[in-house]
Amino acid sequence: MTLRAEFHLARRYLIGLRRRTNVATVTLISLVGLGLGVVALVVTLALLEGFQSSIRRDLVEHSMHAQVRPASGRVLDEVNQLASLLHSSLPDVEIVRSLRGNCLVASTVDAVPALLVGRSDVESVMADQVLAARLGIGATGAVDVISPRQRLTPLGPVPVRARVDVKEVGVTEPGAEGGVLRVPLEVAQRILWGSAQVEALDLKDLSAPWRLGDRVRRVLEGRDGVVVLGMDELNRPLLLALALERILIFVAVGLILVVAALNLLCNVAMVAAEKRRDLAVLTSLGLEPVRVRRLFLLLGLGIGAAGAIGGAAVGVATAWILDATGALPLPRGVFVVSSVPFSVDPMMVAKVVGLALILSAVASWLPSRVVARREPAEGLRYE
Amino acid sequence: MSENNVMIRLRGISKDYGEGDARVEVLKGLDLEVNKGEMLAIVGPSGVGKSTLLHLVGLLDRANGGLVELDGQDTDALNGSERARLRNKMLGFVFQHHHLLDELDARDNVALPMRIAGRPATQARQEAEALLDTVGLSARLTHFPDQLSGGEQQRVAVARALVMRPQLLLADEPTGNLDRAASDGVFRLIRDLHTEESLTSVIVTHNEEMAGQCDRVFKLAPAGELSGYV
Repeated sequence: MTLRAEFHLARRYLIGLRRRTNVATVTLISLVGLGLGVVALVVTLALLEGFQSSIRRDLVEHSMHAQVRPASGRVLDEVNQLASLLHSSLPDVEIVRSLRGNCLVASTVDAVPALLVGRSDVESVMADQVLAARLGIGATGAVDVISPRQRLTPLGPVPVRARVDVKEVGVTEPGAEGGVLRVPLEVAQRILWGSAQVEALDLKDLSAPWRLGDRVRRVLEGRDGVVVLGMDELNRPLLLALALERILIFVAVGLILVVAALNLLCNVAMVAAEKRRDLAVLTSLGLEPVRVRRLFLLLGLGIGAAGAIGGAAVGVATAWILDATGALPLPRGVFVVSSVPFSVDPMMVAKVVGLALILSAVASWLPSRVVARREPAEGLRYE
Repeated sequence: MSENNVMIRLRGISKDYGEGDARVEVLKGLDLEVNKGEMLAIVGPSGVGKSTLLHLVGLLDRANGGLVELDGQDTDALNGSERARLRNKMLGFVFQHHHLLDELDARDNVALPMRIAGRPATQARQEAEALLDTVGLSARLTHFPDQLSGGEQQRVAVARALVMRPQLLLADEPTGNLDRAASDGVFRLIRDLHTEESLTSVIVTHNEEMAGQCDRVFKLAPAGELSGYV
């Protein structure tokens, strides 16, 4: 089976469009429409990828990459033994003992619920931006931490309460909804549990953060009583939200391509009507119906490919220029980045071009079916 | 006449268009035989169905009833693709309007049936150049249809019809749009090539002088009336 005749004809038809003003104009509109759709999709997805990349970068920078937790309960047994094993097997990985619990944090201004995080690598108390703002403590200040744990006093049971000095205000962790108060491990143990126990081992490896969970699992394989969570599990809600956002934006902006493809369908149908006689002649010369369909498919794909590739090139260039020049600044303090970030994912561009080509193929397939069903005499008779 | 000397055999052919009150019966119970190597002219008044008959013989349309045999092969059972391949291999068409493709130059128009048959572009072009030389258009190889005169366009169409060395040439008023001089030239060309290539030819024409130069003349009468050789 050869496609050479169909390629030859499709190429000549596309080149010959210049001589037929009406069809050429409509074809140009189809091509530009498809191209603009691809530009819109590529730029939008680059913008989304830019923001999501900065969130993922933030996530890697400010949160743990894996966590070892007890399989049941909240107390991690044999912490030292586990830490030694992990340290000897993964010497390049940072290991921190941690404990987390909800508490009420009160300042002279307000009292708000917050997550108390105790870490063995923390020496001074740090509140994140959200908590600091709610408590109105500025850069430093003393706050009271009120634990859900109670102690018995002559006056009856009262919540455990401790005063700590906030020395630092830090960046809010990605995905953290409420405020976070980070304290030395011993402080958290005293406030939350009243004993020197640990809830988890937090691990960090900046060289391969997304694979750390698997590496730790391999080390602890066969060990009962513990579970290992990697970055995917630790940040599942956030990552799901990011993926969902990407899919919804792709579908919503991708509808532009569907509209452009409908325009292309009209264009191919117009060429089919104008070329009714030529098609009858081609079939009289021996072009089989299936090859007539292929010819129209190639015509539509030719227009679609020109629009998609041109649109992708313009879209990638636009995203690159906007990112490199920082042409769209963002207000400081609200966003982590100073200008709207754009990041082009080649795989995403390939998917957009692929989608444009598939839609072009479908758009040209429909009129081609009608054309291929006609007897050649029909086209000749109406001449 | 022996069976295997018959190139075209039509038996009880009927063809109508439209439905209900708009139905028009064009051919009814038509029989026709054309022998190999014969040049047959089909004549008759306008609208009688001459082109329809030619389209049925050329497998460009399907009859409502009857048998169409080409070189002993019943074509009724063939599907669209098989009919197309048979047209490409066995039949050559010349239409009243040249029906050349505007986007292709003379050489590419002539080479088109070979390209459709899957022959290499170089071979197709060489064959096309040789045929255009035969029809006296070697100086017009790269001219597009709108750069050629009516007579030249029709010569290109004749070359295109013969490039696959078909057994059967079907011409539908091939000189209908030409002036006297061009008309004579084109018909002479068809007749010479018919002889040189040992073709079987069927020519629909209004031109009695041209019909008179064919081996036989078949007069087509309106449906229901008697058609036959004259």
